[in-house]
Amino acid sequence: MDIRVDGLEQAAGGKLILDQVSLEFSAGAVNAILGANGAGKSTLLRLLGLLDKPRRGEIYYDGFSLSVLRRRQRTALRRRIGFVFQTPLLLSGTVEANLLYGPRLRGVRPAGPALEQVLAVTGLQGKRTQNAQQLSGGEKQRLQLARVMLLDPELYLLDEPTANLDPLSVKNIENAIIRLARAGKTIILATHNLVQARLLDARVAFLKAGRLVQAGPAADVLNRPLSLDIAEFSAAENIVSGTLARHGEHTELRCGTLAIEVVSERSQGTAAAVIRPEDIVVSKGPISSSARNCFRGSIVALTDLGLITSLRIDCSGVLFTVFVTRISCTEMNLAAGMDVTLTFKATSVHLLFQE
Amino acid sequence: MLLPPNREILQIIFLSLAVSGAATVLAALAAIPAALVLALREFRGKRFLVGLVNTAMSVPAVLIGLLVYGGVSRRGPLGALGLLFTPGAMVLAQALLAFPIITALALAALKGIARDSRDLALSLGANRRQLALAVIRQGRFAFLTALIAGFSRVIGETGMTLMVGGNIKGHTRVLTTAISLETMKGNFEIGIALGIVLLLAALTITIALQWAQGK
Repeated sequence: MDIRVDGLEQAAGGKLILDQVSLEFSAGAVNAILGANGAGKSTLLRLLGLLDKPRRGEIYYDGFSLSVLRRRQRTALRRRIGFVFQTPLLLSGTVEANLLYGPRLRGVRPAGPALEQVLAVTGLQGKRTQNAQQLSGGEKQRLQLARVMLLDPELYLLDEPTANLDPLSVKNIENAIIRLARAGKTIILATHNLVQARLLDARVAFLKAGRLVQAGPAADVLNRPLSLDIAEFSAAENIVSGTLARHGEHTELRCGTLAIEVVSERSQGTAAAVIRPEDIVVSKGPISSSARNCFRGSIVALTDLGLITSLRIDCSGVLFTVFVTRISCTEMNLAAGMDVTLTFKATSVHLLFQE
Repeated sequence: MLLPPNREILQIIFLSLAVSGAATVLAALAAIPAALVLALREFRGKRFLVGLVNTAMSVPAVLIGLLVYGGVSRRGPLGALGLLFTPGAMVLAQALLAFPIITALALAALKGIARDSRDLALSLGANRRQLALAVIRQGRFAFLTALIAGFSRVIGETGMTLMVGGNIKGHTRVLTTAISLETMKGNFEIGIALGIVLLLAALTITIALQWAQGK
């Protein structure tokens, strides 16, 4: 389903929760709405799901504007949309009773195999006759998804579907989302987790205090955040603040005694640099490279993350996080207290300016 | 002293239950839709209305009696109906007394559940009728509790009922007005006996409703 919102505004208790949000979602793909608590993610989802009416603005579904729809048409549209709530809303009764609620409202009876199928996809096989209220948090969330999947909507609205869930449930729900997107369903989910958005290959819309601040593919937002908020939100490992200055033909960002060469149109004022750990090369001694930045520092800490090891390195008072594969970590005999060299290109430094 | 119960006593008990029962039902017919609207809809002036309902709970019954008396007396706007000193006037006054109580209590109880059951039903494709049924179904316990409170309030009401009903023997005499009259006549024992009957009648209805709630 093609969805576009235009100048959307919503308020509650005199406070603006969504402020002039205009946005287009990709049909047949995963879209993620990101933002801190209270940024307006749930409010936007509720408007898209026709659970609330916007104060101002317009939503277009496949080009049809919401405001001209009659009540009956709105109900028909709602039946093409599936909503998974952040706090599971379940009927008291069995898992099966919950699954059958949607079909009952539509006056249809689903085939037995369809029921078993959605339970299997969400990892709830064998739970059909269990009391829904006695399921675990993760199972309740998966039951909500199963209940919606049984209705086979064109659009899925998922409000933080994996918040506070066990890793297995998270995996299960993520897999289900990927499968739905492959089947051509449009998915819009609210999440705190930019890494998850990238994993789901999502288009991202970043909200801050009800305003849209950045939209684009998750990988772009991760690598080239438009603001410090987004960089911090995406748990960017290396954010270095300093002042810009000219140095010969080049521009550098000065942070204490450390001077990082950058590529920038500006050459003065304060800025923050975001450097992705995967763009930094670690070596025991200096290496020959065209990269302009080369710093000596000592290893403060090592964290074994399985395939890779994360290193914290202190370069003249600035802490960098870098990744090395476990194998090269062993080969180089890296240990806390050792001195190493960090090398990265000036073009790997993404600059952000505080407005 | 009331045993075996004579015709007159039975008639008084019956009228008490009938008048208060009818008043509760009448009030509920207006109060429950009102509570549903207040719980589910957002509109201008909603907070004022909720405040009004909550305040109306504390309006003295005697004032409602005065209002109804003025309304149904021969020269009042409803004078043509000839309701004064009839069970009809008593039902009307008691219903007015019960309405804000039932509305406010149902609303308070609905607050937590109405939005969730609305969201759930709407998101799964309920139409308007199905939506109302879903919320009413979820709120049925809340409504019963409110009904019990409303009924308890009106069946024990004396002054107002006396004002608009007149305590006419065999016509508008109910348990509370009978107790009041017998006590004032010096028939203290009969007053106490009737009081016990009133207590039993109120308890029976309340327990029956609670039993229905537990099911």
